Amino acid sequence: MQDKTTALKLNDVIGLRRKKQFVQLGFVSLLIGLVLWSIQATIIDDTDWERIGTLSEIGESVSHFVGIDFELIPSLLGPTIETFMIACIGTLIGLLMCIPVIWFGALNVTPFKPVTYPLARVAMTLSRSIHEIVWALIFVSAVGLGAFAGILAIAARSLGFIAKMSAEAIENIDPKPVEAIRAMGGNNLQVMIYAILPQVLPVILGIVIFEWEINIRRSSVLGLVGAGGLGLVFFRQMNTFNYPGVTTVILAILALILIGEVVSHYARKAMI
Amino acid sequence: MSEKSATPRMKTDNIHRQWSRFKYPNSLINYCILFSILLFFTFSVHYLNIPLERILGMFGRLGDVLANRYYPPDIDYIIDKGYLAAVIETVQMAYLGALFGLLFAIILGWFAAHNVSPSKTFIYPVARLIAMGCRSVHEMIWAILFVTILGFGLLPGVLALTMFSIGFAGKLFAEEIESIDMGEVEAIRAMGGTHLQVFIFGVIPQVRVAFTGIAIYTWDVAFRAATVVGFVGAGGMGWYLKRNIMQIETERTAAILLSIIVLVVISEFISAWARTKVSNAK
Amino acid sequence: MAILEVENLSSRYTAKGPEILKSISFNVEADDFFAIIGPSGAGKSTLIRCINRLVEPTSGNIRLHGVDMLSLNSRSLRHMRRHIGMIFQEFNLINRMSVMDNVLSGRLGYVGALRSIFRVFSNQDIQRALELLERVGLQDHIDKRADQLSGGQRQRVGIARALMQEPNLLLLDEPTSALDPKISREVMELIRNMAVELKVPVLCNIHDVQLAKEFCNKIIGLQDGNKMFDGPTETLDQSSLEEIYAMEVL
Repeated sequence: MQDKTTALKLNDVIGLRRKKQFVQLGFVSLLIGLVLWSIQATIIDDTDWERIGTLSEIGESVSHFVGIDFELIPSLLGPTIETFMIACIGTLIGLLMCIPVIWFGALNVTPFKPVTYPLARVAMTLSRSIHEIVWALIFVSAVGLGAFAGILAIAARSLGFIAKMSAEAIENIDPKPVEAIRAMGGNNLQVMIYAILPQVLPVILGIVIFEWEINIRRSSVLGLVGAGGLGLVFFRQMNTFNYPGVTTVILAILALILIGEVVSHYARKAMI
Repeated sequence: MSEKSATPRMKTDNIHRQWSRFKYPNSLINYCILFSILLFFTFSVHYLNIPLERILGMFGRLGDVLANRYYPPDIDYIIDKGYLAAVIETVQMAYLGALFGLLFAIILGWFAAHNVSPSKTFIYPVARLIAMGCRSVHEMIWAILFVTILGFGLLPGVLALTMFSIGFAGKLFAEEIESIDMGEVEAIRAMGGTHLQVFIFGVIPQVRVAFTGIAIYTWDVAFRAATVVGFVGAGGMGWYLKRNIMQIETERTAAILLSIIVLVVISEFISAWARTKVSNAK
Repeated sequence: MAILEVENLSSRYTAKGPEILKSISFNVEADDFFAIIGPSGAGKSTLIRCINRLVEPTSGNIRLHGVDMLSLNSRSLRHMRRHIGMIFQEFNLINRMSVMDNVLSGRLGYVGALRSIFRVFSNQDIQRALELLERVGLQDHIDKRADQLSGGQRQRVGIARALMQEPNLLLLDEPTSALDPKISREVMELIRNMAVELKVPVLCNIHDVQLAKEFCNKIIGLQDGNKMFDGPTETLDQSSLEEIYAMEVL
């Protein structure tokens, strides 16, 4: 009797597992088919395979990039510093422009909810949605070519992320100190300085350092649209077909980013 | 009776106590650091020739430029069939790039996670290095490099987005894997599972939800990047942008920028919605 | 002949760190239910994990069925581990998978890469899993997710998974310390019955001396990495317990 029920159950279980596996298999193959189709449509049909040529030709064009242009290195110093400074000042200005947005955008401190809160949210979304290249294009047309446009682009791009994360940090504070300051008769400004800021300042600093690190990476390409820094040198090397020079510039960018990562690692450690 | 004497004084010893907010070595160091940062900023402003006085006036000027030259945006231009095709190309490029990138990133995240990496001495540092390299090089630079090697078209765009997604998602995946509960991994190891089995049975079930969220986010960010990689000839809407800027067709440029902003905001809403769905399904 | 021979086993986590185990030796026979007792931090868990090399010992010898465990390369170690069942304090189930998949995962050592990706197991395996689930009393929970079960039920899944391996040695790492006393006794009873039925020797570390006395036939006592007691359960008296748990209130 016991054996019979087990056998019955066994067939059920096995059948169910097989069925599940077939459904999974069908689903996976459907997905793969879909992907293959779009690869066919977008890549295989679209690409001029004659232009790409054989694998060895590709290998040959890749091999152009092998090597370092040592003569370029001294002239890289200025643009590297410039890129670094654009990232630093851009982050700083972004932070300054952030302050009203954070204030308006945190639900528990926003001064007039129906108007200021959506306003801040729109600003955050806009800033984060637009790619740094597009921001740079906008600012280049407003203030002309040069580092200044780059700084503004970086500031505009980082505003959204810093503001969003900081506003969330303010929304998640511990309300007890606020209560305490209110209980002893503090006004809004005092509540802000004594109850809210001490709680969120370390968080905001962490966010800013994180964003600064990303901004170094961003500022390295702004030169492509005329906003100064290493990107400009990169483009010039590209246009003069100096491929080892291109590699050198990329290495310089990597070095700069590595420095940024190390600095941000220690800065965050020092804060905690 | 004066108000002062009305407050009873606390009884204290007559020892002269001193308190200062500034404690000698520490606060000096802190102020030095602060001062040097400030000095650096001042120097940078000087070095880059930034007209500080123009910052405030700039907003007015920006409004001026936008109102006179970029208004009204040429909406007819972007409803054109060719442009819409470019939009669809951009979407496809982003989705394919993110997909390929994610496939590699899952493996890379596995190799670059310290707790389950198949070899701590060799595979782990190599995977870390690859992830860092992919992430550090900006997607525009990847696009330029691939365009130089492979020519114009969607393929270099897809490859550039793939590289970008590998770096972006690989790091997040690795961090997610490093925070899993090791008990399940230990159980699979104890019963003689291979590295692959440890990954599939010990790691994947724990990180599936988080990975889905990261994947959606990656797609969103890749789309943002896809709108501009065309700027250097890698296909999609960016190419239209570049051409109109070159020809100083400001009203058309404005329309394209507007369409980019609208599309990105839409994709961000979709991604935010999908991510809350996923994390609720936990 | 002893199934498991441990000789002069020493272990430390880092090269210059403190010694967790100091030259431990003991033998496990074919019908033993062997307990390791001792205060927390004595090295019980490390000792258990040295047997299947989840923790690498620094020196000593471990022989299982005459095979020198410490000289195995990673491939043959995996093959040895297939026959060593392990039951954990925190169950270590795959929480997001079904009870069935958890039990089936005990066969992973025998399943190839492709089949483990798609979770395809043979009908014999499924049959065995069903029988084991019935034996541990979980036949009504087969398709539930592991994290929907109670603690006692989860440990029963853990037992079924370990037995799924057809083990010739069972390692238990504090199998009851996450369970309440009544469930603990039930779980220990289940493990003992299954071990007797399947003729599997058991090596068990356990903090509850009462349970150890009740279920185990041999006991070793550890204190601070030193072996303080070794012998049949009957010979464990109050004075040897005091020696093991010196400085700790019982």
